Amino acid sequence: MSGDEIPAALVKRLRAASGLSEQEIMAIHALPILVREYGAERAVVSEGQRAVECCLIVRGFCARSKTTSEGRRQILSIHIPGEIPDLMSLHLHVMDHDLRTLTPCTLGFVHHEALRLLYRRQPNLADLFWRDTLIDAAMFREWIVNVGQRPAPARLAHVMVELRERLKLIGRVEGSSFEMPLTQEQVGEALGITAVHANRVIKQLRQDGIVDLHRGRVDVLDETRLLELAGFDGRYLHQSPAL
Amino acid sequence: MPRFHFDIQENGRLIADDEGREFAGGEEVRKEAVATGASIARDAFMAGSACRIVVDVREENAPFLKVSITLDVEEPAKA
Repeated sequence: MSGDEIPAALVKRLRAASGLSEQEIMAIHALPILVREYGAERAVVSEGQRAVECCLIVRGFCARSKTTSEGRRQILSIHIPGEIPDLMSLHLHVMDHDLRTLTPCTLGFVHHEALRLLYRRQPNLADLFWRDTLIDAAMFREWIVNVGQRPAPARLAHVMVELRERLKLIGRVEGSSFEMPLTQEQVGEALGITAVHANRVIKQLRQDGIVDLHRGRVDVLDETRLLELAGFDGRYLHQSPAL
Repeated sequence: MPRFHFDIQENGRLIADDEGREFAGGEEVRKEAVATGASIARDAFMAGSACRIVVDVREENAPFLKVSITLDVEEPAKA
Protein backbone atom coordinates (compact mmCIF):
# COMPACT_ATOMS: atom_id res chain seq x y z
CA MET A 1 0.00 0.00 0.00
CA SER A 2 1.49 3.34 -1.04
CA GLY A 3 1.68 6.34 1.27
CA ASP A 4 -1.18 8.17 -0.41
CA GLU A 5 -3.58 5.23 -0.09
CA ILE A 6 -3.36 5.09 3.69
CA PRO A 7 -5.24 8.34 4.39
CA ALA A 8 -7.26 8.19 1.12
CA ALA A 9 -10.64 7.43 2.76
CA LEU A 10 -9.98 10.03 5.49
CA VAL A 11 -9.26 12.71 2.89
CA LYS A 12 -12.31 11.69 0.84
CA ARG A 13 -14.56 11.84 3.89
CA LEU A 14 -13.25 15.13 5.29
CA ARG A 15 -13.29 16.77 1.87
CA ALA A 16 -16.96 15.87 1.38
CA ALA A 17 -18.17 16.54 4.93
CA SER A 18 -16.15 19.59 5.88
CA GLY A 19 -14.11 20.82 2.89
CA LEU A 20 -10.30 20.57 2.62
CA SER A 21 -7.75 22.81 0.88
CA GLU A 22 -4.91 21.33 -1.21
CA GLN A 23 -2.46 22.43 1.48
CA GLU A 24 -4.44 20.61 4.17
CA ILE A 25 -4.59 17.45 2.06
CA MET A 26 -0.81 17.61 1.65
CA ALA A 27 -0.39 18.03 5.41
CA ILE A 28 -2.54 14.94 6.05
CA HIS A 29 -0.51 12.96 3.51
CA ALA A 30 2.67 14.04 5.28
CA LEU A 31 1.50 12.64 8.64
CA PRO A 32 3.72 9.83 9.92
CA ILE A 33 1.36 6.83 10.03
CA LEU A 34 2.43 3.42 11.29
CA VAL A 35 0.41 0.67 9.63
CA ARG A 36 -0.49 -2.55 11.45
CA GLU A 37 -2.67 -5.49 10.44
CA TYR A 38 -5.31 -6.88 12.82
CA GLY A 39 -7.43 -10.02 12.77
CA ALA A 40 -11.22 -9.95 13.24
CA GLU A 41 -12.65 -9.36 16.72
CA ARG A 42 -9.40 -8.15 18.26
CA ALA A 43 -8.92 -5.38 20.82
CA VAL A 44 -7.24 -2.26 19.38
CA VAL A 45 -7.32 -0.23 22.58
CA SER A 46 -9.18 -1.17 25.77
CA GLU A 47 -10.92 0.59 28.61
CA GLY A 48 -8.46 1.78 31.25
CA GLN A 49 -5.53 1.88 28.82
CA ARG A 50 -3.49 5.06 28.38
CA ALA A 51 -3.43 5.90 24.67
CA VAL A 52 -0.43 7.62 23.06
CA GLU A 53 -1.62 7.32 19.48
CA CYS A 54 -4.84 7.60 17.46
CA CYS A 55 -6.06 4.93 15.12
CA LEU A 56 -7.13 5.61 11.53
CA ILE A 57 -9.10 2.80 9.92
CA VAL A 58 -7.55 2.15 6.50
CA ARG A 59 -9.40 -1.08 5.68
CA GLY A 60 -12.08 -3.03 7.55
CA PHE A 61 -14.68 -2.29 10.20
CA CYS A 62 -14.31 -1.55 13.94
CA ALA A 63 -16.75 -1.00 16.80
CA ARG A 64 -16.59 0.84 20.07
CA SER A 65 -18.18 -0.89 23.04
CA LYS A 66 -18.52 -0.94 26.77
CA THR A 67 -19.12 -3.97 29.00
CA THR A 68 -21.10 -3.83 32.25
CA SER A 69 -19.86 -5.42 35.48
CA GLU A 70 -22.28 -8.31 34.74
CA GLY A 71 -20.46 -8.91 31.47
CA ARG A 72 -23.12 -7.53 29.12
CA ARG A 73 -21.61 -5.74 26.16
CA GLN A 74 -23.16 -2.70 24.50
CA ILE A 75 -21.83 -1.73 21.09
CA LEU A 76 -21.75 2.08 20.99
CA SER A 77 -20.79 2.76 17.40
CA ILE A 78 -19.63 1.10 14.18
CA HIS A 79 -16.63 2.53 12.33
CA ILE A 80 -15.55 2.39 8.71
CA PRO A 81 -12.44 3.26 6.69
CA GLY A 82 -11.44 6.92 6.88
CA GLU A 83 -12.61 7.32 10.48
CA ILE A 84 -10.46 7.90 13.56
CA PRO A 85 -12.64 6.35 16.29
CA ASP A 86 -10.31 7.23 19.17
CA LEU A 87 -9.46 10.79 18.16
CA MET A 88 -10.70 11.96 21.57
CA SER A 89 -7.80 10.09 23.21
CA LEU A 90 -5.67 13.09 22.21
CA HIS A 91 -7.40 14.98 25.02
CA LEU A 92 -8.96 12.19 27.12
CA HIS A 93 -5.86 10.25 28.06
CA VAL A 94 -7.27 7.08 29.59
CA MET A 95 -9.74 5.08 27.49
CA ASP A 96 -13.28 4.93 28.94
CA HIS A 97 -14.44 2.23 26.50
CA ASP A 98 -13.05 -0.44 24.16
CA LEU A 99 -12.18 -0.14 20.49
CA ARG A 100 -12.26 -3.53 18.73
CA THR A 101 -12.07 -4.77 15.16
CA LEU A 102 -15.16 -6.43 13.67
CA THR A 103 -13.39 -7.73 10.55
CA PRO A 104 -9.73 -8.13 9.59
CA CYS A 105 -8.42 -4.55 9.52
CA THR A 106 -5.54 -2.46 8.31
CA LEU A 107 -5.09 0.27 10.91
CA GLY A 108 -2.88 3.34 10.71
CA PHE A 109 -1.55 4.73 13.99
CA VAL A 110 -0.67 8.39 14.39
CA HIS A 111 1.26 9.41 17.46
CA HIS A 112 -0.41 12.13 19.55
CA GLU A 113 2.69 14.33 19.22
CA ALA A 114 2.43 14.19 15.41
CA LEU A 115 -1.22 15.28 15.61
CA ARG A 116 -0.39 18.15 17.99
CA LEU A 117 2.32 19.32 15.60
CA LEU A 118 -0.14 19.13 12.70
CA TYR A 119 -2.66 21.19 14.68
CA ARG A 120 -0.06 23.88 15.40
CA ARG A 121 1.01 24.11 11.77
CA GLN A 122 -2.52 23.86 10.35
CA PRO A 123 -4.96 25.40 12.88
CA ASN A 124 -7.75 24.99 10.35
CA LEU A 125 -7.22 21.22 10.40
CA ALA A 126 -7.45 21.29 14.19
CA ASP A 127 -10.89 22.93 13.79
CA LEU A 128 -11.81 20.32 11.24
CA PHE A 129 -10.87 17.41 13.48
CA TRP A 130 -12.75 19.11 16.31
CA ARG A 131 -15.80 19.26 14.06
CA ASP A 132 -15.28 15.56 13.36
CA THR A 133 -15.46 14.66 17.06
CA LEU A 134 -18.60 16.83 17.38
CA ILE A 135 -20.23 14.88 14.56
CA ASP A 136 -19.16 11.74 16.41
CA ALA A 137 -21.06 13.05 19.47
CA ALA A 138 -24.10 13.83 17.29
CA MET A 139 -24.06 10.21 16.14
CA PHE A 140 -24.01 9.05 19.75
CA ARG A 141 -27.07 11.22 20.51
CA GLU A 142 -28.90 9.55 17.65
CA TRP A 143 -27.73 6.11 18.87
CA ILE A 144 -29.23 6.83 22.33
CA VAL A 145 -32.57 7.86 20.79
CA ASN A 146 -32.46 4.74 18.64
CA VAL A 147 -31.76 2.25 21.42
CA GLY A 148 -33.98 4.01 23.94
CA GLN A 149 -37.06 4.80 21.88
CA ARG A 150 -37.42 2.83 18.66
CA PRO A 151 -38.81 -0.70 18.46
CA ALA A 152 -36.21 -3.30 17.47
CA PRO A 153 -36.97 -3.53 13.70
CA ALA A 154 -36.84 0.27 13.36
CA ARG A 155 -33.64 0.32 15.42
CA LEU A 156 -31.93 -2.10 13.03
CA ALA A 157 -33.27 -0.22 9.99
CA HIS A 158 -31.88 3.05 11.38
CA VAL A 159 -28.41 1.60 12.06
CA MET A 160 -28.39 0.21 8.51
CA VAL A 161 -29.39 3.46 6.80
CA GLU A 162 -26.89 5.49 8.83
CA LEU A 163 -24.08 3.09 7.99
CA ARG A 164 -25.01 3.28 4.31
CA GLU A 165 -24.99 7.10 4.30
CA ARG A 166 -21.52 7.07 5.83
CA LEU A 167 -20.23 4.41 3.43
CA LYS A 168 -21.57 6.48 0.51
CA LEU A 169 -19.24 9.32 1.47
CA ILE A 170 -16.20 7.08 0.91
CA GLY A 171 -17.66 5.45 -2.22
CA ARG A 172 -18.40 2.07 -0.68
CA VAL A 173 -22.04 1.51 -1.67
CA GLU A 174 -22.76 -0.52 -4.81
CA GLY A 175 -26.31 0.01 -6.00
CA SER A 176 -28.60 -1.13 -3.21
CA SER A 177 -25.96 -3.23 -1.46
CA PHE A 178 -23.32 -2.46 1.17
CA GLU A 179 -21.23 -4.10 3.88
CA MET A 180 -22.41 -4.48 7.46
CA PRO A 181 -20.13 -7.17 8.88
CA LEU A 182 -21.90 -7.84 12.19
CA THR A 183 -22.82 -11.28 13.52
CA GLN A 184 -26.30 -11.78 15.00
CA GLU A 185 -24.67 -11.57 18.41
CA GLN A 186 -23.14 -8.19 17.51
CA VAL A 187 -26.40 -6.90 16.01
CA GLY A 188 -27.96 -7.77 19.37
CA GLU A 189 -25.18 -5.97 21.24
CA ALA A 190 -25.63 -2.89 19.06
CA LEU A 191 -29.42 -2.78 19.46
CA GLY A 192 -29.52 -3.78 23.14
CA ILE A 193 -31.45 -7.00 22.48
CA THR A 194 -30.56 -10.69 22.71
CA ALA A 195 -28.96 -12.55 19.80
CA VAL A 196 -32.15 -14.60 19.44
CA HIS A 197 -34.27 -11.44 19.21
CA ALA A 198 -31.78 -9.98 16.70
CA ASN A 199 -32.10 -13.13 14.59
CA ARG A 200 -35.88 -12.78 14.64
CA VAL A 201 -35.77 -9.10 13.63
CA ILE A 202 -33.39 -9.85 10.74
CA LYS A 203 -35.72 -12.64 9.59
CA GLN A 204 -38.80 -10.47 9.89
CA LEU A 205 -37.27 -7.66 7.78
CA ARG A 206 -36.29 -10.24 5.14
CA GLN A 207 -39.76 -11.88 5.15
CA ASP A 208 -41.43 -8.47 4.91
CA GLY A 209 -39.34 -7.76 1.78
CA ILE A 210 -37.69 -4.63 3.27
CA VAL A 211 -34.03 -5.50 3.69
CA ASP A 212 -31.83 -8.61 3.72
CA LEU A 213 -28.82 -8.83 6.06
CA HIS A 214 -26.87 -11.87 5.05
CA ARG A 215 -23.22 -12.83 5.61
CA GLY A 216 -22.19 -9.31 6.56
CA ARG A 217 -23.92 -7.61 3.60
CA VAL A 218 -27.10 -5.61 3.42
CA ASP A 219 -29.33 -5.76 0.35
CA VAL A 220 -32.07 -3.17 0.33
CA LEU A 221 -35.21 -4.76 -1.07
CA ASP A 222 -37.60 -1.84 -0.63
CA GLU A 223 -35.99 1.58 -0.22
CA THR A 224 -39.20 3.48 0.57
CA ARG A 225 -40.31 1.11 3.31
CA LEU A 226 -36.79 0.94 4.78
CA LEU A 227 -36.62 4.74 5.15
CA GLU A 228 -40.15 4.85 6.52
CA LEU A 229 -39.38 2.15 9.09
CA ALA A 230 -36.09 3.78 10.14
CA GLY A 231 -37.60 7.25 10.44
CA PHE A 232 -34.22 8.43 9.19
CA ASP A 233 -33.30 12.10 8.97
CA GLY A 234 -29.60 12.39 8.11
CA ARG A 235 -29.16 15.98 9.28
CA TYR A 236 -27.26 14.85 12.40
CA LEU A 237 -24.48 13.40 10.20
CA HIS A 238 -23.62 16.93 8.96
CA GLN A 239 -22.26 15.48 5.71
CA SER A 240 -21.60 18.80 4.00
CA PRO A 241 -19.58 21.89 5.00
CA ALA A 242 -22.86 23.88 4.88
CA LEU A 243 -24.50 21.73 7.58
CA MET B 1 -21.84 -27.68 22.80
CA PRO B 2 -25.53 -28.54 22.53
CA ARG B 3 -27.64 -26.65 20.01
CA PHE B 4 -30.90 -24.95 20.97
CA HIS B 5 -33.71 -23.66 18.78
CA PHE B 6 -35.90 -20.76 19.86
CA ASP B 7 -39.31 -20.88 18.16
CA ILE B 8 -41.27 -17.71 18.77
CA GLN B 9 -45.03 -17.29 18.70
CA GLU B 10 -46.77 -13.92 18.66
CA ASN B 11 -50.50 -14.32 19.22
CA GLY B 12 -50.13 -17.86 17.95
CA ARG B 13 -48.25 -16.92 14.73
CA LEU B 14 -45.14 -19.08 14.72
CA ILE B 15 -41.68 -18.03 13.54
CA ALA B 16 -39.56 -21.17 13.71
CA ASP B 17 -35.82 -21.04 14.38
CA ASP B 18 -34.24 -23.50 11.97
CA GLU B 19 -30.60 -22.59 12.57
CA GLY B 20 -30.48 -22.63 16.38
CA ARG B 21 -27.57 -21.49 18.53
CA GLU B 22 -25.06 -23.21 20.75
CA PHE B 23 -25.12 -22.61 24.50
CA ALA B 24 -22.77 -23.81 27.21
CA GLY B 25 -25.52 -24.72 29.68
CA GLY B 26 -29.19 -24.71 30.59
CA GLU B 27 -28.92 -21.56 32.72
CA GLU B 28 -27.66 -19.53 29.70
CA VAL B 29 -30.55 -20.89 27.62
CA ARG B 30 -33.10 -19.90 30.28
CA LYS B 31 -31.65 -16.36 30.51
CA GLU B 32 -31.65 -15.95 26.72
CA ALA B 33 -35.25 -17.19 26.46
CA VAL B 34 -36.54 -14.88 29.22
CA ALA B 35 -34.66 -11.82 27.93
CA THR B 36 -35.77 -12.53 24.35
CA GLY B 37 -39.41 -12.97 25.38
CA ALA B 38 -39.31 -9.78 27.44
CA SER B 39 -37.83 -7.64 24.67
CA ILE B 40 -40.14 -9.03 21.97
CA ALA B 41 -43.10 -8.54 24.33
CA ARG B 42 -42.08 -4.93 24.97
CA ASP B 43 -42.17 -4.11 21.24
CA ALA B 44 -45.35 -6.08 20.57
CA PHE B 45 -47.26 -4.75 23.59
CA MET B 46 -46.27 -1.14 22.91
CA ALA B 47 -47.26 -1.44 19.24
CA GLY B 48 -50.42 -3.35 20.13
CA SER B 49 -49.46 -6.02 17.59
CA ALA B 50 -49.79 -8.96 20.01
CA CYS B 51 -50.71 -9.64 23.62
CA ARG B 52 -49.17 -13.07 24.07
CA ILE B 53 -45.57 -14.07 23.37
CA VAL B 54 -44.28 -17.61 23.68
CA VAL B 55 -40.62 -18.57 23.38
CA ASP B 56 -40.51 -22.32 22.89
CA VAL B 57 -36.99 -23.71 23.19
CA ARG B 58 -36.05 -27.11 21.78
CA GLU B 59 -32.79 -28.98 22.10
CA GLU B 60 -32.77 -30.42 18.58
CA ASN B 61 -36.32 -31.83 18.54
CA ALA B 62 -36.90 -32.39 22.24
CA PRO B 63 -38.77 -29.68 24.18
CA PHE B 64 -36.38 -27.94 26.59
CA LEU B 65 -38.31 -25.05 28.12
CA LYS B 66 -41.11 -22.64 27.33
CA VAL B 67 -41.48 -18.99 28.37
CA SER B 68 -44.93 -17.38 28.03
CA ILE B 69 -45.63 -13.69 28.53
CA THR B 70 -49.17 -12.33 28.45
CA LEU B 71 -50.38 -8.75 28.52
CA ASP B 72 -53.31 -8.36 30.84
CA VAL B 73 -54.81 -4.90 31.25
CA GLU B 74 -57.76 -4.54 33.60
CA GLU B 75 -59.88 -1.42 33.70
CA PRO B 76 -62.73 -0.93 36.13
CA ALA B 77 -66.11 -0.78 34.40
CA LYS B 78 -67.18 2.83 33.77
CA ALA B 79 -70.43 3.92 35.37
